[in-house]
Formats: sequence, structure tokens, C-alpha cells
Amino acid sequence: METVFISKLKPFLEEISKKSDLYIPVKKAEHWTFNRYNPDEIDEVEFNSIRTCLPVKEFSFPPRELAAAFPEPLEAKQIKPFAVFGLKECDLHSIEILDKVFYEGEFQDPFYIARREKMFIISGDCTQAGQSCFCNLFGGKGFADLGFDLNVSKIKDGFIITEGSQKGKRFIGDNPDLFADAPDTLLAQRDENRARVKKELEEKNADLKFTSKISEIIQGSQDSDVFDIEAQNCIECQACTRVCPTCHCFYLYDTKKPDYFAKMKMWDSCMRMAYAGVAGGANPRKVLGDRIKHRLLHKFVYFLERYGIDMCVGCGRCVDADAGGIDIREVLKKLDEEKKQKKTNQAEIAK
Amino acid sequence: MKDVYFPDIAVIDNIRNETGDVKTFTMRFKDPDIQENLTYRSGQFFEVSIFGIGEMPISITTSPSHKGFFELSVKNVGLVSGVLHGLPSGSEVGIRGPFGNGFPYEEVFGKDLLFVGGGIGLAPLRSLINNVLDNRDNFGRVIILYGSRTPGDLVFRDEFKAWEDQPDVSTLVTVDRGDEKWVGNVGVVTTLFPKAGIESKNAVAFVCGPPVMIPFVIKDLLKLGFKEDTIISTLERHMKCGAGKCGHCCIGHKYVCVDGPVFSYREMKAMME
Repeated sequence: METVFISKLKPFLEEISKKSDLYIPVKKAEHWTFNRYNPDEIDEVEFNSIRTCLPVKEFSFPPRELAAAFPEPLEAKQIKPFAVFGLKECDLHSIEILDKVFYEGEFQDPFYIARREKMFIISGDCTQAGQSCFCNLFGGKGFADLGFDLNVSKIKDGFIITEGSQKGKRFIGDNPDLFADAPDTLLAQRDENRARVKKELEEKNADLKFTSKISEIIQGSQDSDVFDIEAQNCIECQACTRVCPTCHCFYLYDTKKPDYFAKMKMWDSCMRMAYAGVAGGANPRKVLGDRIKHRLLHKFVYFLERYGIDMCVGCGRCVDADAGGIDIREVLKKLDEEKKQKKTNQAEIAK
Repeated sequence: MKDVYFPDIAVIDNIRNETGDVKTFTMRFKDPDIQENLTYRSGQFFEVSIFGIGEMPISITTSPSHKGFFELSVKNVGLVSGVLHGLPSGSEVGIRGPFGNGFPYEEVFGKDLLFVGGGIGLAPLRSLINNVLDNRDNFGRVIILYGSRTPGDLVFRDEFKAWEDQPDVSTLVTVDRGDEKWVGNVGVVTTLFPKAGIESKNAVAFVCGPPVMIPFVIKDLLKLGFKEDTIISTLERHMKCGAGKCGHCCIGHKYVCVDGPVFSYREMKAMME
């Protein structure tokens, strides 16, 4: 993979914004969020230290969109190319997970696919481990090897750009004036940063070590009280599922517009009381604790079974967003502790 | 690539009143090519849209052996089914699908078949029954047991005669509550079991009906010697997307809309645990 050097972000991103809409990270209070890039509004683009607080699924799976219209069908071709700067390794991991649902297999989602194909991904190395980051539990290390068109690594006096796709390679080739060579000394700086963040992540989550696989912990704790105890703090705000970059449940509904009928697709949440309800009033998950359990079972057991991958990237967004203070890391720890206890008890009984 | 959310248009050609609140709609796809190329298995369902109102999952009640049209029997229970009931012949609706796994068919060649239906639950079974009877030589003995709340709630009444006229087919009907004209059986559908002369040895049972009926039927079938995987039933959930994505119909690790709605009792037990 080719690497090149730039000293400032703005000229590089300016060039990208000439060809398509561009979204960039902007700091609001202590959080990062994505804004549409407008060169007149800012002097220099900031490099986000960690992931944004809202999930990147918004770009390929918007909170609400037209899924179908009649009598005239919608054309997925109408979706224009766009670029997003500031995605982190965990974000790319979440895209890989959503692709399994919407992009692969028998039933494909034409608008998801169109957006994914039109999305130019410029990722960036993390420059610190965030308060709630625990991506290392899912193989994360703070920088991406795959899944981007271009990747940006911040170093002392500039940035290293790495190509990750044909599209990225072409962009570098087409704009020789923007880039300088990246000598080994600068690459060494990049590698030092990467090693530092990786270590920071590991140290931060040193106590997050389980005796069993997460899927086994959840699978084996279906009769645990932990879910009902956690439910006492849950205020059913559904923020955990909204900010989760991998949660993808949606609600499909029909509506009337002045000159056409439409089928809309809108984010839904399995934490919502009426979510699993059927006609006639039956509801298999009326109890809140059961819904919390179902969510974790889906993430760590059912999804793994179906797609061979966990449905969690350890981004910690749900930890930040949870109004009731439920921390998925603590829930997993409690369940693991319970499982361990159960084993010890059984061993003692056996003696 | 077929857009999973975009329905094809179907025209309602005929409407038949089955009971006070059940109508059978005969439909065909407006595009003759789509109708011609329609293939499905008994037990599969369509997502039926009333434009601007909503969408509902409805099982296909016609046998796949019948070509050129399809039928949906719909009970008036909610918003979308209510609007559908108010539509006249010639109206257009949206259809997505077929979705779901469907009943085993080739897999039960050579077997004796027992059908146990309750209420509108006979609709998906009717598709399979007619497909079996259209290929009669492939199957052993056929017993059809059907129950509803009252005589006025019995669906497909005209067809029972045609079914019974076929060789080695017996049908028995019961109602929970009779009326002054009713001279047949009274009692829940399991009260027909002793009268039907059921042999479980080389048999497969197909059970469809209201959720309250299923556990009692399964219990009695097990007593008769049916095995957990020779009892086949369907589960109902709020199937929305039909493609195993939106999450609404999840039971445990199964999506009812793609892994179901047909499950053996063995599979059902594993899902509920």
C-alpha cells in the first residue's frame, strides 16, 4: 500500500469536496459529531481523536428513508457520491457487520447498497483511547488495516495518508501536487503513535478479562437475575440502540404523500415495549429485563451463529449515551462473575 | 437484483365470503409474466400492501399446483385487513414475496398425513391439502380434522365434500359451540382424535390454528406416538420486512419470516428454551 505525506488537512479535503459532498468531524462540547464540510466556515479541519458520538450507520442506513414508492419506483441511482472523513477502525468494523445484513445474501437492500457504493471512506488512526472504548475486546487496536479508501495517520507535523482501494489509489495518482513522499522516519512516528494507543487501550481495559467467551457467558446466563436488576435502572430511552453502529432493526410502514404512496423504512428499537407485539395483543417480550437479555443474545449469540461475527465493535457509544447508566462492560463482567461462581459451586457440590 | 421492498401489483378478481369475518380473495399479478413465473411452496406467505395504509403477512391458501391465480383468505382483525375487506373486485393491492420456508412436501412422500386445523388456520393447510390431493399417489392415507368456534366460523365448507370424495381421505369437523341446526361434533378439535383412527407409525401431522389450540393438539399427538419432528406447525410473529433483516419476528435465534413460519415441534422447543 502506498503512503504519502501532507502537512495540512484542508487542501486535501478541499480537493475531495470539489467532487462530492464531504462530511467531517466537528467537536461539540466533549463529543465529536459529523457536519457537512463548508470551506468558508472553517480555517482548518480538526482531526478527531476518537470516534464520533453518533454512529456511522447514518450514512448507509439513515434514521428514516423512502424504501419504495408507487406507482413510480424509486431509482437507487439518484444517490450521489459522498465522502466521509474521520471514521475510526471500530466504524469500519461496524460497516463490515452491517454489510453482512444488507449487502450480502439472498435479499439485498438496494438503497443501502447504493449508499455504500457511493461512499468514499477516509478513516483515521485514533490518537487516544476514549473514556468508554473497549474495542480491543473485539480485535480492535485503534487503527485500520482494511475497509477504507484512504486512511489518515496524525503525526507530529502533519499526516500520513495510506491508500486502501483502487478509488483511493486513483485519488492520490490524480493529485500529485497535494502529496509529498513519506520517508521512513515519519512512518516510524506513525507506528509509535499506533503502538502507544494500542497499549493505552489494553491498559484501560486490563480488568475486562473474562473466563469464557462472551457468547458462552450470555448463552449460559439466560436465567440470571442480572437482566432484571439492570432493567431497574433502564428508562427505556432506546438511546443504546440508536447510537449503536451495528443495531439495525427497522420498522417498515406505508404512508400517503400528495402524489404518490410510499413505503418508509425507519430505525426501530428492540428495547421498545411494543416492538415484538403482534395483532391481538400478544407480546413475547413484555418484560424489560427480557428485552435487555434479547438484545445481548442477538449481539453475541444469534448474530455470531448466523454470520460468524459478533454484532458489537466495542465502541462504547451505548455506555456514553445510556441515560440510566447501564454499562455493557459491567453487565458482561457481572454475568461472567456469576458463571464463574456457578462453576465453583457445582465443583464444590461434586466434591 | 430484485428490490426487496418494492411490491408487485395484483388485481382482486373475485371475493368470496367464507364466514362473517373471513373473506377469500382471488388475485392475479397484473403483469402476466410475474403471474406465469410465480412459484411457491405451501406454507409460504405474501406481504400484502394496501397502498398508503399498511402491509400485513398473509399465507397463500392456493395449492402451488393451481396456476394462473392465487388466493388469500383474510380475517378482518385490524387496520389493513379491515381496509382489504372493504375493497371491491377489480381493486389493486401490492404483493411482496413469497417469503418463508413453507411446509415439507417432497420430504413427506409416501407418508400418511394428518392435518389438524383450527379457525382461519386451515388457510395455509388448504394449500398443502390440495397439493397433496392433486398428487394423490405420492402419499398414504390422509386425515383432515378441523374445528372452529361456531358453525358460522367454518371456512372452506364447500371443499370438504370434494376432499372426502378422493380415495382414502377422511375428514372430521367439530365446533366449540353448536347452534340449533348443527348436528355434527361439538368440542375442541382434539375430541376428534379418538374418532379418526389415527395411526402415528408412518405419519406426519400438520397443525395450524390459534395459539391457544397448538399446545393441546401437540400434547395429544405425542400421546398418540407422534415424534417431535413429525409434528409440523407454524408460528406467527409480526413479520415486517420478510427478508430476515428488520428483527420484528425474531424468536430466539430464528427469524420467523425466513427460517419459518413452518417449524417442527422439535425446532419450536429448542427456540423457546
